[in-house]
Amino acid sequence: MGKKVLKYSLIFCILGLIAYNSVYFKKLSEVKASAAKVFNPAAYARAYLDKQLLPAAGKAPDADQLIAQLKNNPVKAFKADAHGLDIGNTRFFMVKGEGVIINVDESNVYLITPGKQTLKIATEYIFGNALRDAPGIITVNDFTNSMDLNNVSAEVNKLVRNEVLPPFKSKVKKGDSITFSGAFELNQEHINLGNIEIIPVKLAIK
Amino acid sequence: MNRIKIFLLLALLGFAGCKSRTDNHQKKMAIVVSTLNNPWFVFLAQTAAAQAKALGYESKIFDSQNNTAVEAEHFENAIASGYSAILFNPTDANGSVANVLKAKKAGVPVFCMDREVNSPDAATSQILSDSYSGCVDLGKYFVKSTHAKGNYVEILGIVADNNTWARSKGFHSVVDYYPGLKMVAQQSADFDRNKGMEVMESILQAHPDITAVFCGNDAMAMGAYQALSAAGKAKNVTVLGFDGAGDAIQGIKDGKIMATAMQFPKVMAQTAANYADAYFKGKRDFPKKIQVGVEMVTADNINDYIAYGKKD
Repeated sequence: MGKKVLKYSLIFCILGLIAYNSVYFKKLSEVKASAAKVFNPAAYARAYLDKQLLPAAGKAPDADQLIAQLKNNPVKAFKADAHGLDIGNTRFFMVKGEGVIINVDESNVYLITPGKQTLKIATEYIFGNALRDAPGIITVNDFTNSMDLNNVSAEVNKLVRNEVLPPFKSKVKKGDSITFSGAFELNQEHINLGNIEIIPVKLAIK
Repeated sequence: MNRIKIFLLLALLGFAGCKSRTDNHQKKMAIVVSTLNNPWFVFLAQTAAAQAKALGYESKIFDSQNNTAVEAEHFENAIASGYSAILFNPTDANGSVANVLKAKKAGVPVFCMDREVNSPDAATSQILSDSYSGCVDLGKYFVKSTHAKGNYVEILGIVADNNTWARSKGFHSVVDYYPGLKMVAQQSADFDRNKGMEVMESILQAHPDITAVFCGNDAMAMGAYQALSAAGKAKNVTVLGFDGAGDAIQGIKDGKIMATAMQFPKVMAQTAANYADAYFKGKRDFPKKIQVGVEMVTADNINDYIAYGKKD
């Protein structure tokens, strides 16, 4: 009789243990919070553009001064104003300025600055990491997955393509005076100032 | 009294022995790579071994043969054999996490090279190529050079590897904006040259009218070129690769390949070995992830590059 009680008690305990470990209860609010943690690159890009990128663009160096510095003392210019996430030669600069449009084609507008620099602003190929990396605010380790970091670039570029370019492209013409701010990349080992392509974040026709 | 002196002497020798065992130069590094069936990974592994040697450490290269089970055996052997760090090129972003965690549990730091594991804190540090950005550049170049028109094919690498998708997504983040460019087939060839050739042969039968093929690495690009050449279509189809391998660099010079993206395996391998050395010397605050820039190579700048890097 005693053995039976012990046997059934043991079986009951084992079954109880299995049942206890098979079923988990979680608060619905916790599950919802966990689902909400999934990274949303579009929302991140929106907040980044409004709260960080545009203020950084407002404080960017003037194009004429920056290019003069890059010509005269590139090492100092890269040290002072360039940022980049990667180990390597590609670095990004924020820049702002003004100028008169001298040409418009399907991919770019070309302008001449008060300092007589000819610059190219992209209006078609809005790709790459210039706007994400140039302010030096975002770091690789802010993201658990590299693809999240990559998607931020894609979404910021999408915002520029959808919001910044259409009103500008529909009106801009040769002879217009414009103001701009944006970012561009340079290879610090092979500096080619003749081929700077600015990815805009703000464009206005005066 | 003499016995006490002898005892003290032996004890001192014992401590000296312990010290020599913890000396940095008695430590050794295991280099575990996904495959040695691709010259790019051979270069990565050999560069890591050379850097370990230059730093004064013994090392051994383990070939995982693109198989996580083989990789798991290598990790077990490396841990059991007393390797003090693992310089690691994972086979599978998810499947390799368990192996890294096993090493972590055993107190062996793991430094990932080129390929990522999907865990924010399993590896001590991950030194990775910025594959996505390299393929954004390739995509842009592709759109410009094709005038955004034509049917193309994409040959993917190993589907379980994050680099495969980083490259694919980087390319598509540009190309998909242009509806005149139509992807008629997308298939994996596991980063393998022979499979690249077979996949291309098979796709050509269904889609003889393609104008371009984008491959996730140079080995597959060379395989695809071989298939196109055999079919008499090499002159009509543009081929893009990724890696900066020797035959692709020569292929660009010869006009066989339109462009590739140069990774810098030397930088990644040397950084991983240097990090392991720093770890042995007490450093612990490593960046969890560090990206190494990738540069596009075309006929316009081919003279600046050699296989696996830049000309000095």
